[in-house]
Amino acid sequence: MTELAQNLIDALALGSLYALIALGVTLVYSVMDMMNFAHGEFIMLSAYALYALAGAPFGIALGGALVTGVLIAIVAERVAFRPVRRADMSAQLVTSLAVATILQNMVMAAVDARPKSVATPSLVSETTQLGSLSVSNIEFLTLGLTALVLAGLGWLLYRTRAGLAMRAAAENFDMARLLGVRADRVIALSFAISGALAAVVGVLLVMQTGQVSPTMGLTPVLVGFVAVTIGGFGRMLGAVIGGLFLGAASSLLGAYLPTGLLPFRDAIVFSLPVAILIFKPQGLLGAATGVARV
Amino acid sequence: MSVVRLRSRGSLAVSVLAPLVLIALTVAVGASGTLSLRGTVTTILCEMIVVLGLQVFIGNSGVYSFGQLGFASAGAYGAALLTLPAAFVALQTPGLPSVVADAQLGAVGSTAVAAVACGVLAAIVGLPLMRTSTLAIPISTFAFLVVSYNVISNWDRVTGGSGGLVSIPRTTGLVSAGLWAAAATAVALAYKWSTGGYRLQATREDEVAARSLGIGVTGERLVAFALSGMLCGVGGALAAHQSGVLAPSTFYFTASVTILTMMVAGGARSVFGAVLGTIAVAAVNELLRGVEGGGEILGGVSVGNTPGLAAIGVGLILLATMIALPNGLTGGREAGELPWIRRLLGRRRAADRAAGPVTAPIGSAKHGAAIAAPARRDGALRAHGIVVAFGGLRVLRGVDLALRPGEALGLIGPNGAGKTTLVNVLSGFLRPDAGTVELDGVDVSGRSPSRLARAGLTRTFQGALPFPQLSCLESVAVGAMGVGDRRGRAVARAADILDRLGLSARATRPAASLPPAEQRLLGVARALATRPRYLLLDEPAAGLNEAEGEELVAILRGVLEGFGCGILLIEHEMSVVMSLCPRVQVLDDGVTLRIGTPDEIQADPSVIEAYLGHSYLEPANA
Repeated sequence: MTELAQNLIDALALGSLYALIALGVTLVYSVMDMMNFAHGEFIMLSAYALYALAGAPFGIALGGALVTGVLIAIVAERVAFRPVRRADMSAQLVTSLAVATILQNMVMAAVDARPKSVATPSLVSETTQLGSLSVSNIEFLTLGLTALVLAGLGWLLYRTRAGLAMRAAAENFDMARLLGVRADRVIALSFAISGALAAVVGVLLVMQTGQVSPTMGLTPVLVGFVAVTIGGFGRMLGAVIGGLFLGAASSLLGAYLPTGLLPFRDAIVFSLPVAILIFKPQGLLGAATGVARV
Repeated sequence: MSVVRLRSRGSLAVSVLAPLVLIALTVAVGASGTLSLRGTVTTILCEMIVVLGLQVFIGNSGVYSFGQLGFASAGAYGAALLTLPAAFVALQTPGLPSVVADAQLGAVGSTAVAAVACGVLAAIVGLPLMRTSTLAIPISTFAFLVVSYNVISNWDRVTGGSGGLVSIPRTTGLVSAGLWAAAATAVALAYKWSTGGYRLQATREDEVAARSLGIGVTGERLVAFALSGMLCGVGGALAAHQSGVLAPSTFYFTASVTILTMMVAGGARSVFGAVLGTIAVAAVNELLRGVEGGGEILGGVSVGNTPGLAAIGVGLILLATMIALPNGLTGGREAGELPWIRRLLGRRRAADRAAGPVTAPIGSAKHGAAIAAPARRDGALRAHGIVVAFGGLRVLRGVDLALRPGEALGLIGPNGAGKTTLVNVLSGFLRPDAGTVELDGVDVSGRSPSRLARAGLTRTFQGALPFPQLSCLESVAVGAMGVGDRRGRAVARAADILDRLGLSARATRPAASLPPAEQRLLGVARALATRPRYLLLDEPAAGLNEAEGEELVAILRGVLEGFGCGILLIEHEMSVVMSLCPRVQVLDDGVTLRIGTPDEIQADPSVIEAYLGHSYLEPANA
């Protein structure tokens, strides 16, 4: 019983982390119909900001990570994604893949191809006893941050003018423009928020693993993509559900898979969504942008 | 009657020979150099085969896959394990099934087995994935790449795990790699110009229009995906036998980006582009890789030890291509379609046109048989009690309709009456909330548009929905290919239809270059190529001037009388409806208001009221 509860808490924590990644991916998708491969690199670069600011007080390092995530997202949008805004979804996807490759290998060239360890405050690696359950502080932090981010996003999207503009752009970009929504600003804003979400994830990943590497963004971005796909493209709630599902599946498989199969956990986790797509080709909640041409 | 061709002999010859010449030159460069250059060039040729595999799927479908290197690694490991000497098998892969371990195949045998195995693997993987959307396929194939990497690097007893394999016989030589690359080029071109290839290209150009012509999107994508997996498997197998060593990361993320860049830089739609792009990107890549360990670029700039430099270069090429040259170096054209080659071949093209199809008057028995399937006079297209609601809005509220072969039925009504919605239901694009559709006595409710088209029911759209990159002749031929015609027959029929519709002079021009009125007419031509027994036309005369409208009426009359094809005509231009349709059905607000002859309809007060409002009839009470 205790073991089950323990495993469920672990599953929820990992699922929350994955939901944060998927939210960052889907936010940009819903505004400009682009699945952003470089989201993983936004995460990676934020993590490297922690590495670069290792000597500074931890609060400053955190701020640096956040600023890095937001800035790199805004710059990538301005330099690389704006010129292909009118291209089709596949072309945008490939463009973001190019950006991801460039960023990843620039870090490899500038820092090192090998992982670097990053010291984190001892507080985050400690665990708290709740009765017979032991919950690590990083799990508390992940759950708390996810709740905070969800509340914050909800407030932003549904209680502010900027959020209204973003939702309008997500609904019908051209119509929103005609009605006076400033496209450049809305897209930049969604990238900035997406970059901030990536920074949160980057920081949490560093705290979990204690290290950074140039390729650390690859698995997260795949997680985000798959979560968005099984949740339904352009669905915020779908992204959260998809993220929770993948995280829970990964965590529970880690706990219950026979030892011989344990190395193949990722293969199983990423094959599972196919089962969902067989029955629901448009994702659990259906895609938000259907073909409405005929 | 002379044979009509999709491309002139000259253009065909140039398109086939140009990539082969490039490959031969590449082999020659490798043969003239040092041993290390030889090895590098051989590797590039292996990569080229994988790029060609990528082009087969991505270029023709317009859908990206990031997982094809998973098939390349499957092919590499498969071929390596089939040829690994017994002593090394015991050492590296003790868990290998004895069937594979004991097999001692040669270079060609192991490559062939790997090719077949990868084709089957791709078909199995593609079966669920191809059913998803254009955006879900790149993501799920990316997931497949990660899954295959995960399996290969952890299945220690069979694949050697993260340590990889060594002592693989190095049997791939420069010339054999060149020959395989040439064969792969031939396969890619043959597929592109096959009926299946054309059907898939139509889905790339416009998925909705392709479905209306009988083309099953999922099936066509699956065929190309399997063929692509096969070619990638060949490339992987040859690469393994070139380098003699394998590691899980050989075919992973960085390699995927490189391969994709090669295809995109050359021009994804072009086989020639795949060959050219591979060579161009590989040259830059090798140059940069040479200075990664520290050195000088072009004797000028000195560079320190910078891992990742080559990958940065590849990423920049990909980014620059996507932003500045999205159709790649070739513009997506085969060599024989390049503008300057066309000018060179210009004289011969004129000769081709002179030898165009002989025409007979529309409706003559000889050509009627060539275009339309024999109609079953007893059949009919019937709809019963069709109800469609979008949310709370009931767009159709119990509509009946009957259309017999050889009959023209006009469907008119004010904007928002539900006319297009009804056509969407009849053609399978929209599932009604209630009611049934019968085709020649068979309940076809819920059938897909492509199945209905193959059963003899085809529609056109309010928008022209052209296939922009296909020529007019190809666009129409695809209609015939969609319902299963062989290439020669499809092209002959397409030429015939274009001729009747007065579009012959446009045959070799891309559909996108036509003015809007002709694009519409091309849409009708495309639909006619499917040999419909029932043809649903959604405002075909919109945007035509009076003379063009009259021409269209004459053409449709020919279709009716010559082929016994039933026509449902939605049209706002009353003169067209009245002159063509002996029977007219009026829809208003989702119900049938009246069915009658044009004269009856025009005199009916309720119809006038629906169109013009109550006040028009009774101005005194307004």
